[in-house]
Amino acid sequence: MKLKLLAAGVLLMAFPAFAHHGGTSLYDMSKQLTVDATVTDFLWTNPHVEIGLDAKDSKGKVKHWILEANSPPVMVNKGWNRKVLQPGDVIKVTFNPSARGGSVGRLIKLIKSDGKEL
Amino acid sequence: MRNRLCSTVWLLGILAFICGCSANDAAKPASQVPDLSGIWLGKPVQSLSVSDPTAQKPGVEGDIPYTPWALAKMKTERPATGRDSTFENTTDPALKYADPDGYPRASIHPMRFKMVQTPEYVYQLWEYNKSWRQIALNKPHSEVPDISWFGESVGRWEGDTLVVDSVGFKDSTWLDPIGHPHSEDLHMIERIRRTDPETLVFDFTFDDPKAYTKPWNSQLTFKLKNDGIMTETIYTISDELSFRQRFLNEKPPIPIRRSN
Repeated sequence: MKLKLLAAGVLLMAFPAFAHHGGTSLYDMSKQLTVDATVTDFLWTNPHVEIGLDAKDSKGKVKHWILEANSPPVMVNKGWNRKVLQPGDVIKVTFNPSARGGSVGRLIKLIKSDGKEL
Repeated sequence: MRNRLCSTVWLLGILAFICGCSANDAAKPASQVPDLSGIWLGKPVQSLSVSDPTAQKPGVEGDIPYTPWALAKMKTERPATGRDSTFENTTDPALKYADPDGYPRASIHPMRFKMVQTPEYVYQLWEYNKSWRQIALNKPHSEVPDISWFGESVGRWEGDTLVVDSVGFKDSTWLDPIGHPHSEDLHMIERIRRTDPETLVFDFTFDDPKAYTKPWNSQLTFKLKNDGIMTETIYTISDELSFRQRFLNEKPPIPIRRSN
């Protein structure tokens, strides 16, 4: 699976699709990464829903990421529920990576293996 | 004897009818007042400034008449949203201490609330932290209102509008996520009306001489959600510390709950 840098100059969005607990100060809003990944854990929790995933980088090395989505009721408004993802699910996700280089990120878009976007 | 029996039955029937009507009138919301009830969801905004809802220029919006006290307070706050946001070192009391949002910030959170009407009260019930406030209809304020997170609210109907007068707000809350301050002397007037079947509009006037040189206005708009869903989101200090451990690698300073 290939780690792919999609964009490196996207302006900070005035109204991000997901408002995040960590805020824009934690993430590099000028970058978006898209990876093919396998879900390792899915926490339907406060303050924000968390998705753990494993993705291989361009050298084939597996990297573990934790992405934050939004709070459970906000995700319910988008059609999610606590069983919408399971460990082992294969997904393609796009996210803003951490501004400090850690393996955390801010979810932008998630597509399941059947092509359905959550 | 038969006539007397008939008269008694007739009288009892009339009494039962009157009692029944009175009980029904007391139980149902007065049909002559507007119906604001329902589940409502607003657009996310970061600031109550009408000219700067995304909080790109806090302190210099142009439509908020700060006193020097309020402006100095704005400059020292570190919100977790807006142009110069900082999450790690935020002074936002709702994040730093997991304090209640208070009002009107509770309605800015991107979650739902339910309006419930009775003849004597209107209730606003928020998903977030299962919080609520009560608006007493056609009653005066308390002689000495308590100081509280959501204030003391009284209201009356004016045509299609519920006019709400609120005082007694705890001054540690922010009016909005960007940190607009207020004092305990805040006097807030709201005009709440259903502009169409799907839209509920709150017009605010904030009068607080310690914080603002003159009253200023803002507005929040909400859309009806017909699916009946009201979830539970209770945000605790354990949730905050767990998030900081996982996303910032910060060691919790106190033991925290591990279950979701």
